[in-house]
Amino acid sequence: MTKKKSKGADDDKMIETKSKSVSGKSQKQKKPVEKEVEKEVKSLKEEDLVQESATDSDYDGDNSPGSLHSDDFDSDIFDSEDDVTQGGTEDGDGESSEDELHDHEGSIDNEDDDESEQIDSDNNEEDGSDEGSERGEAVEESDSSEDEVAPRNTVGDVPLAWYEDEKHIGYDVAGKKITKKEKQDKLDSFLASMDDSKNWRKIYDEYNDEEVELTKEESKLIRRMLKGKAPHADFDPYAPYIDWFKWDDAIHPLSSAPEPKRRFIPSKWEAKIVVNYVRLIRMGVIKFDKPEEEPNVYLLWGDDSKSDQKSKHLTYIPPPKQKLPGHEESYNPSLEYIPTEEEKASYELMYEEDRPKFIPKRFTSLRSIPAYENALKESFERCLDLYLCPRVRKKRINIDPESLKPKLPSRKDLRPYPNSCYLEYKGHTGGVTSISTDSSGQWIASGSTDGSVRMWEVETGRCLKVWQFDEAIMCVAWNPLSRLPILAIAMGRDLFFLNTELGTDEEQEVVKEMLHSGNIPEPETSVAAIVTWLPDELHGGIKTRHFKNISSIDWHRKGDYLSTVMASGETRGVVLHQLSKKKTQRLPFKIRGLPVCTVFHPSLSYIFVATRKEVRVYNLLKTGVATKKLETGLREISSMAIHPGGDNLIVGSKEGRMCWFDMDLSSKPYKTLKNHPKDITNVAVHRSYPLFASCSEDSTAYVFHGMVYNDLNQNPLIVPLEILRGHSSKGGVLDCKFHPRQPWLFTAGADSIIKLYCH
Amino acid sequence: MDVEGEDVSRRLHVKFVTKLDSPFKVPVNSVAIPSNVTRLGLSSIVNSIIESDNPEWKTEPFDFLIDGELIRMSLEEFLLAKGISAERTLEIEYIRAVAPRKEEEPSLHDDWVSAVNGSSPRFILTGCYDNLGRVWSSAGSCSHILEGHSGAISSVAVINSKDAETVTVATASKDRTLRLFKFDPDESVDSSTRVRAYKILRGHKASVQSVAAQKLGDMVCSSSWDCTINLWNTNQSTSEGESVSVKKRKGNNQADESQSEGEAVTTLVGHTQCVSSVVWPEHDVIYSSSWDHSVRRWDVETGKDSLNLYCGKALNTVDVGGEGSALIAAGGSDPILRVWDPRKPGTSAPVFQFSSHSSWISACKWHRSSWYHLLSASYDGKIMLWDLRTAWPLSVIESHSDKVLSADWWKGENVISGGADSNLRISSGIAIS
Repeated sequence: MTKKKSKGADDDKMIETKSKSVSGKSQKQKKPVEKEVEKEVKSLKEEDLVQESATDSDYDGDNSPGSLHSDDFDSDIFDSEDDVTQGGTEDGDGESSEDELHDHEGSIDNEDDDESEQIDSDNNEEDGSDEGSERGEAVEESDSSEDEVAPRNTVGDVPLAWYEDEKHIGYDVAGKKITKKEKQDKLDSFLASMDDSKNWRKIYDEYNDEEVELTKEESKLIRRMLKGKAPHADFDPYAPYIDWFKWDDAIHPLSSAPEPKRRFIPSKWEAKIVVNYVRLIRMGVIKFDKPEEEPNVYLLWGDDSKSDQKSKHLTYIPPPKQKLPGHEESYNPSLEYIPTEEEKASYELMYEEDRPKFIPKRFTSLRSIPAYENALKESFERCLDLYLCPRVRKKRINIDPESLKPKLPSRKDLRPYPNSCYLEYKGHTGGVTSISTDSSGQWIASGSTDGSVRMWEVETGRCLKVWQFDEAIMCVAWNPLSRLPILAIAMGRDLFFLNTELGTDEEQEVVKEMLHSGNIPEPETSVAAIVTWLPDELHGGIKTRHFKNISSIDWHRKGDYLSTVMASGETRGVVLHQLSKKKTQRLPFKIRGLPVCTVFHPSLSYIFVATRKEVRVYNLLKTGVATKKLETGLREISSMAIHPGGDNLIVGSKEGRMCWFDMDLSSKPYKTLKNHPKDITNVAVHRSYPLFASCSEDSTAYVFHGMVYNDLNQNPLIVPLEILRGHSSKGGVLDCKFHPRQPWLFTAGADSIIKLYCH
Repeated sequence: MDVEGEDVSRRLHVKFVTKLDSPFKVPVNSVAIPSNVTRLGLSSIVNSIIESDNPEWKTEPFDFLIDGELIRMSLEEFLLAKGISAERTLEIEYIRAVAPRKEEEPSLHDDWVSAVNGSSPRFILTGCYDNLGRVWSSAGSCSHILEGHSGAISSVAVINSKDAETVTVATASKDRTLRLFKFDPDESVDSSTRVRAYKILRGHKASVQSVAAQKLGDMVCSSSWDCTINLWNTNQSTSEGESVSVKKRKGNNQADESQSEGEAVTTLVGHTQCVSSVVWPEHDVIYSSSWDHSVRRWDVETGKDSLNLYCGKALNTVDVGGEGSALIAAGGSDPILRVWDPRKPGTSAPVFQFSSHSSWISACKWHRSSWYHLLSASYDGKIMLWDLRTAWPLSVIESHSDKVLSADWWKGENVISGGADSNLRISSGIAIS
């Protein structure tokens, strides 16, 4: 226990002795109450005999909660005293307390009081040991603790009757409803209060809907107030008076001497100074500022936006400038200002915004001018303007939108690029799904939904050869070697190798030998379930039958390997065919997701496999995981093309976006171009010119300049060049391919026409 | 100044002159004509003047030149544009208008007509996509069929037509060979005779695109998709290399013993892409155009290119002619016909550009005698006649219903053309003085 507290307790003692009369009164008041207590105690006696243990609580429980008797306060005082003076009286038990209660009943005198004080303290000892520390803290906290803790409820000083019928008592600081606690049954609450020894100290706080347990300090405070004392024990009402006034040699605090004369006569020295000033002014030594002259004329229609008004106010908005009235606004303007009937009629046809605000009219005299017809309307609009006037000055950023555009080179400097269509290849009866040019650029092959594959002469648009199949052709691809004029065709589950019968006789012999159906070796067991090689009698070649429909094919640059993609084949969806050995092998790694297309690296032994959302790069010579994963951020990849340098990849997607990947830079797209409103069906990169293109179901093809620099520090330059239109809107453009040597673009449309766009 | 005289049109004093012969001549008098007349007005004036002297005169369209330039707008505008003073008496030269006056019957082929040649006045030579060459003595009458190719014929050339009886022709085909034929165009037969080649020229590795013969007729040159130009000997039995190849090929060609084979004498290498067209206008100079965007002039003796004109577009056709047979005209993968003058030092820009076509130009040919006239054929189905003295086409022949693949002059006043509508068309009556 702190020293401070003990001192406070001593004070209490002192106060008590001083105000004996007060305590006497309180004891008189006590008497009828004690009778009640007595009755209750008597009724409890039997209980106590039965259960001796809970005497403390019983005693405390005598007092109904909220009813504060001076008796209780007394006992509390004793508590506090005990905290200090308590010695070895810990042996007090229920029975002794009962004895003391009887004492209370019997004779009430000071000595008895003293004894009972001691015993009461014993009774409360068990509590005290717990509460002692609490009380200590409470004292430390200072008496203004109530003010510091903000009330839980924030409704303010309103009649609580307003919330009587509500489920909540008010709102907390965050504005949430504080729900009422569930009210206990009266009997339950009574029983609970019987059980609780501290019940007499509890007060129900209606405002915050909670029970507050008064601390010792608080109860002491209340008791002092009831006694009519100062609530705080520290306050000393009888402190010695300190007289601050000095009474050294005066009997009265103020002097009554008469005012001296000097206070009434003007100062001679001041008069001398004034005379000196007058002299100096007359001599012209002191000069005054000239009074500022008000200009008596000012510019009525002048531009006052630059005036000092601006500097006076922080946010001065100059009023909008009105046009000066001209002759046409005169009541009697010259005839040339008056619009003719036709002009008036033409005003009627104009939009209301474009119509002139004022139409000049002639009046013979001022007297005949009617009232202004729009007066009411305009004053209403003015009111609207004031009401809707912005309170905050908006800082408008004045940026030319042109300057925000990236600086791109002019299209003229990037020539040649395909821009106009001169040749059309007509003959298919269904949409052309796929086209492919041979390595020299003399021929182009096309596959169509009508089941035919056609070979065209690029130069004239002449159809040279037609192969008819049963199903729609999915893909056509020329062998990249000029000495092997073989066409690979994907149709349904079959992949055909066709001899185009081009090339010299020696080359033809090689091709015939290669496509000879006799020497097909036994398939390896690992791929037997996926692919079977069969002779194709109908077209004099060979075909391979896959276990799922083929969606895309791609030749390796050396012209011997061909990859096929089966979109629904999942992990077995990509296989490699070797034409010279007529063998098939699966990729030496597992593919995650549904494959969409594959592309061979143009110079190294890598393969790019596009699944629906990602592109993975695998090293064909190493088995295992992907060497690189490109995150496209696209929803569904539809096509892919690689730059001839091998470091840049273009991916087209079904949401009309196109991504340019710079493999050296990052695995994220270097640029994403959102150009097509519909699915991109194919993308293409030119072999030698810095061009790439995309075609889409919106029946347009876009041509871009895509310059890749050898300098690693310089990023690729991408410039959109041309939108190629011309295909009919039905079905769009299904494929696009660049001419291998010229800056020309072939586009294959669902309208069964192939178009050649030249520079 | 008198205001009323100027209201409608001013009057010009003109004098009509001509280099034409007597029936077309008008008296050299100055006449006053209104300044707003066009070519048609001038033509009717001249016609009426001639008619006043010669009552049996049939109206004839004329074209008019002032200071060597054809009038293609009203006279007043022309003078303003050229800055010629209207004060003095103008001298207007008139020529007969260059336009076909008659369209002959079309000669139907079995397939697209890919090549025509009219260098011999006696016959028209055509090549067709049905692998056959044809000789037409006149419109609709086919006298000979040249057979043997296994691929579409891409170009034909007349090697030697000076000899009285037989003429020698060469055909180039997409089956990588050239074939030389000999026949007598004057033999009158009802049905067309089939002719087989007397010599097969093998050596190209890809489709042969064009063939041209030397003036003397001993050699032909051919260009091909394998980027080379090959030179071949035409005579039958001088070279010993041919006999060797005959022996080698004997097994295949047992049926006709007369056929011999030839190998290239020289190969001109330099183009990087398909050589689309060759011409051999002088003894040792060959011009070639290519898809690598260049026109080259080759010296036959050394085998080197002595001139390289860069065009920027893939070229399909080239021809040399015009003033001093030195102007090079070429057309290709755009609708512009360009004419270069290689004698102009220090520049490789074309001196003329004609751009009235709307598609690729497939053929262009200079008129053999005129310095100014040339024709161009295009995939837009039109053949246009051009005069260097004006930027507008003199006339547009729209007889074809599809792409025109080849066109040529014939006998100086006819235009023959073949196209994708499988017709050979002859537009005759073109008056070029």
